[in-house]
Amino acid sequence: MATAKDASAGSANKPFDIVATYNNLLRSDPDLTMPIAAIEALVLLLTHSPSSTISETLDLLEKSTADLKKAIPNPIGLSAGTDLFQRYLITTLQRPGQLGPAGDFNAIRAHLLSNGRLFIRRAKESRDKIATFGRGFVRDGSTVLTNGGSRVVASLLQHAAGEKGGPSAVRFRVIYVLSSAKGNLENHHAEPEGMETVRALRAAGVPVATIPESAVAYSLGKADVVIVGAEGVVENGGIVSRLGTYQIGLLAKAMGKPFYVVAESHKFVRLYPLGQYDLPIEQHVIDFKTDEDLTDEAHPSDCTDKAVLGEAVDFTPPHLISALITDSGVLTPSAVSEELIKIWF
Amino acid sequence: MPATSAPLTPGLASFLKSLKTNPIDTSIDNLISLLKRRQIRHSRSCATATAYLLLRVISFCRTTDANKLIERVQSVGRRLMAAQPREMVVGNIVRRVLGLIRDEAEDDRDAEFALSDAGSESQPQTPRVLEDPSTPQDRDFLSVRHEGSERSSSRPPLTSHSTNPAPISMFSLLSGPEAESSLPGSPVPGSPSGRVTGHGSVRDIRAEVLDGIGEIIDELGQVDDQIAAYALDHIHSNEVILTHTSSTTVQKFLLKAAAKRKFTVIHAESYPNNHDATHATVSGTVSDEDDNLSFESFQKPLIALGITVILIPDSAVFALMSRVNKVILGTHSVLANGGLVAAAGTRVIARAAKVHQTPVVVVSGVYKLSPVYPFDFDSLIEYGDASNVIGYEDGDLVDQIDVQNPLYDYVPAELIDLYITNLGGHAPSYLYRIVSDHYRKEDISF
Repeated sequence: MATAKDASAGSANKPFDIVATYNNLLRSDPDLTMPIAAIEALVLLLTHSPSSTISETLDLLEKSTADLKKAIPNPIGLSAGTDLFQRYLITTLQRPGQLGPAGDFNAIRAHLLSNGRLFIRRAKESRDKIATFGRGFVRDGSTVLTNGGSRVVASLLQHAAGEKGGPSAVRFRVIYVLSSAKGNLENHHAEPEGMETVRALRAAGVPVATIPESAVAYSLGKADVVIVGAEGVVENGGIVSRLGTYQIGLLAKAMGKPFYVVAESHKFVRLYPLGQYDLPIEQHVIDFKTDEDLTDEAHPSDCTDKAVLGEAVDFTPPHLISALITDSGVLTPSAVSEELIKIWF
Repeated sequence: MPATSAPLTPGLASFLKSLKTNPIDTSIDNLISLLKRRQIRHSRSCATATAYLLLRVISFCRTTDANKLIERVQSVGRRLMAAQPREMVVGNIVRRVLGLIRDEAEDDRDAEFALSDAGSESQPQTPRVLEDPSTPQDRDFLSVRHEGSERSSSRPPLTSHSTNPAPISMFSLLSGPEAESSLPGSPVPGSPSGRVTGHGSVRDIRAEVLDGIGEIIDELGQVDDQIAAYALDHIHSNEVILTHTSSTTVQKFLLKAAAKRKFTVIHAESYPNNHDATHATVSGTVSDEDDNLSFESFQKPLIALGITVILIPDSAVFALMSRVNKVILGTHSVLANGGLVAAAGTRVIARAAKVHQTPVVVVSGVYKLSPVYPFDFDSLIEYGDASNVIGYEDGDLVDQIDVQNPLYDYVPAELIDLYITNLGGHAPSYLYRIVSDHYRKEDISF
């Protein structure tokens, strides 16, 4: 106990700032996902901490994770990474063998520290893996509807388009739903997320139509399949994803179109939301105001509200999802809980 | 040569007979052409033929190296699957055999690590101890269960031996670099050398693989009886059951329940592809095609047991559905997402049942469960002989209209309430678990 106290006190004195590290990592590499950035940040934290006992380290991890989660407005994605890292440490330590309790704790630390880059590379590789799994979902002559700025979806579609001179490029079309939340504002020049993918796909010769969110129901009749990305995949197989995904899911269900989610398995979060308003984050999507409130507040607050809206997420329940395309194969939503149970128990 | 068995029309029986005498490559070609010509159809016949062929392939494969064995089975499997891609059971059996080989190879390696041959030798025999024809369903049930549990339990120690623990796919991100590169994980000092030299030289894994295939063949023979054992849990007195096609699995299921209970069966005739067989099943004048093996030589019809059977045309299904308590369906193959491919007309029935909130129960052996995800539903559906719809007697008509006769329907998972396999009852969303118990991930797309 005493050592644990010392460790937390020690880390408080340290200049190492987990939140800043996390943000830096995310900024420095646009390809990095939140869970991986969180894992990276924790690995770096271990580098900077002198702790040499297990409980000390676990305590430090727990504390920094809590700090990180507090500092980030939407910690769902990153909590997948921190949980995974923590569970990995614990299971490795419990396992017999040299890395276990009998062995040298420094061995596992050394392994983690020396392989930091490897994790990132693997995380990116898993995208390619998903792309190969997911190719079958994009058929010749089909039209895919997608949204958001998911890198996995982008890689899947580009893979299907065969931009790398692949043997059999699929001829398909894409309807890209662009979020209007950002575009409508005064910062009109900031292009909606996903534009990059749109450009890349067009460059690869894939016809892309961009539509606003309001046109989803209208356009869905022309689409054969909906493929979306996810920020986190929750325990019941539902997904937490960019605001607007839920309505696409509902519409796809109503129209009988298959709705596929593409996500790496490190995005699985141990979370069981019961509905939209049960997510452990605070977002001001619905903000009731009267005239009085509006005159009370000057426009600066307006600006921040909109910025939050761009980051907002919603929860798509599992019954709307046809299948999850992950790096461990094509899963039904109910298979997610099993993967999660395997790491936790 | 198929010519040697001249009196038989080419089919499963003639193929099995010729298998004993023909050289292996001829047998492979023979089966491929039988599959291509659709002279072997029905899931079970295809599965049986494939299993027997692989049995021969492996017993004639003069190698002790598991990898060579896998390659050989894969190459044969690919050719068989290409011959008739819509008979998914062929692929299923090939994958299960591949899984068997991999399991044995890994057990072998495990045994070397443990440096105890005795343990590994006794282990594959545990299911065989129970081999006793008097309790066939228990035996096979156990052995299949055993296989599943054994596999899942044998994996973690295996991986923890060879490298850092990576039994959980989600950890694959964080675990040690690549397999052997982090050797500190391997505990036994002498083991690396043992693995390199001892691989396969200790004992021949073929014997165990052949045993395993024998078990698969046993399973194919007993699957209907095993499924029928669950009948009393699902069919209650005075219920009205609707079924479709002349599936023997369904018939056995109903017969089992009929021995104890009185109920009514409404049988849709499944015109035009299966109505003759359906009529024969209902009236009990089964003059079985040679395709269906002798193990179901004669079967009493349901009416002989005092069951009221009502034969209806397919078009009456919706009209009668409101009175039906339960729909019991056979299937051609079951897909990983819980959907299924079954005789044409099944989807209409399932849809009608959904409208009336009638439970839909599908009976199917585990061997029909395919790990393939249906990307393109249309490609799964086979089109059959158009003359079944309009005979060539109606020549004038045939000239003027386009006749199509789809043999199968794709039924999405949400229309099915329950699957009953030889392992028990499962929700469609649970099938992924059975898939992962029976097939190795690396074999799903080989």
